[in-house]
Amino acid sequence: MNTLVRRNWLLNGIAQLGECGLFFLDILVALPKSLRHFREICRQVWFVGAMSLTIVMTCGMFVGMVLALQLYYTLSIFGGTAALGTVVALSLFRELGPVVTALLFAGRAGTAVTAEIGLMRATDQIDAMEMMAVDPIAYVVAPRYLAGVIAMPLLMCLFNALGILGGHLVGVTWLGVDNGTFWGNMTSTVDLWKDIIDGVWKSLAFGAVVTLIAVFQGYNAPPTSEGVAYSTTRTVVFSAIVILAVDFVMTAFLT
Amino acid sequence: MSAVTASIDSIAEPLVQVRDLHTRLGGKVIFDGLSLDVPRGSVTAIMGPSGTGKTTLLRHITGQLRAGFDDVSGSVRVAGEDIARLSRAALFALREKIGFLFQNSALLTDFNVFENVAFPLRQHTELPEVLIRDIVLTKLQAVGLRGAANLSPSELSGGMARRVALARAIVFDPMLILYDEPFVGLDPIALNQVLRLIGTLNKTLGITSILVAHELAAVRRVADRVYLIANGKLVAQGAPDELAREDSPWTRQFFGGEADGPVPFHYPAPDYATELGFAR
Ligand SMILES: Nc1ncnc2c1ncn2[C@@H]1O[C@H](COP(=O)(O)OP(=O)(O)OP(=O)(O)O)[C@@H](O)[C@H]1O
Ligand SMILES: [Mg+2]
Repeated sequence: MNTLVRRNWLLNGIAQLGECGLFFLDILVALPKSLRHFREICRQVWFVGAMSLTIVMTCGMFVGMVLALQLYYTLSIFGGTAALGTVVALSLFRELGPVVTALLFAGRAGTAVTAEIGLMRATDQIDAMEMMAVDPIAYVVAPRYLAGVIAMPLLMCLFNALGILGGHLVGVTWLGVDNGTFWGNMTSTVDLWKDIIDGVWKSLAFGAVVTLIAVFQGYNAPPTSEGVAYSTTRTVVFSAIVILAVDFVMTAFLT
Repeated sequence: MSAVTASIDSIAEPLVQVRDLHTRLGGKVIFDGLSLDVPRGSVTAIMGPSGTGKTTLLRHITGQLRAGFDDVSGSVRVAGEDIARLSRAALFALREKIGFLFQNSALLTDFNVFENVAFPLRQHTELPEVLIRDIVLTKLQAVGLRGAANLSPSELSGGMARRVALARAIVFDPMLILYDEPFVGLDPIALNQVLRLIGTLNKTLGITSILVAHELAAVRRVADRVYLIANGKLVAQGAPDELAREDSPWTRQFFGGEADGPVPFHYPAPDYATELGFAR
């Protein structure tokens, strides 16, 4: 059985998936216990959230600016540049906000979480906790998991806000779309439930899978520097694939 | 020893009882029918060549490795309870009463020295802050590092980190302490201090201690009993002085420091000359 699994990457992948699922159940079971470590959860939200703040805000700004440029060009073909605010906002809320934030989050916070947990394992800190009768899933993994799920939608909101600001900067200040038209069309077309909340759902789902991948890879990293490095890379690769796949499925069901 | 204590000793069941332990890790046989007892209130030393599984034995005693879950058979009983049969909650309850000093300290890098020692207290008790402070400072004083309370683990030397880990291991006044090579990297002063600490904890609080160490001189000063493990089996046992005098090939090699003997110096390998390409 063992050699078979090692040789066959398909079986190996399925086995990993199963392990990851069981690990997720472990986290869910440990969640109530980890709520006792409330300070640790707050610390982690601050840690993962604040860590990704700069990159998410800067990228949000640029994505908004690029969107405005590209969409202005497209809309001007049909003479519909008045709809610029609406189109920028919809693209951000429904699609780019959740997806790009999740990708950035995986690269910034996900890798840090993987490396941190992997190093704790490599330096026997996880074993030491077990020995002190502290459940490392409840103390180390679950707070980080919860923090990731909480931080992701918050970061997405900031990303969207900065994106719209960037779009406004390019569309109104630079390209000369009327300020009132930009905001007016946007606020009258964008729907809170259909557009904004849908994006939040997506973002929550991405937070759940990206952080799960990050903590799973960290917890199961081989206890060597090479092993931790490899696991960190895998966090980014797997996250990117899973984010885009989940995005497709959720978009298909939500619209 | 008086007749009374002798009879109590014979009645009292050993705190740790290992019976016919067979363990394989990654396909390699580590233990091949190991049995030993650790009497209550004793300091028992486990000695043996590097890589024989001394750390692994400690991991059996704490239930990190156990029959049924891993490639392990045989029984390990601690305080009368069969480790393999315990639920996770019961195992954790037992571990609260066991102190463990890791070979490489394993301090939590998120916290400073004080918080590392306070960690078990904060996790398992609701003691007021003042009391936690007093307990932690007492333990740090015992290892001579009260002044280092505010340093972070990365600012400690290896020997200091080990002493902090020792303070953490004894913060609960456990019934059993497992020391995995506590003397490595300690200067003679700190070594004496730690030796005295092990002795004091044992004599005054009656804490049973299992000590994995290579330093024969140090072991002779504290240990009541020595078990010598090699090739997965118990090869010699007895009081340290007896054992040092005993004239078996094992003790001669191990305590006399002869390179050649029943314990091979070399890890199993193909013939040296063949591998270098000199053989014809
Ligand atoms: N997880 C594991 N998988 C496979 N083999 C392992 C594992 N852990 C330990 N071993 C092997 O078990 C043997 C015993 O290891 P252990 O750490 O118990 O030795 P030790 O007696 O404590 O040695 P030292 O005195 O050097 O600390 C070693 O040969 C090691 O290669
Ligand atoms: Mg060892």
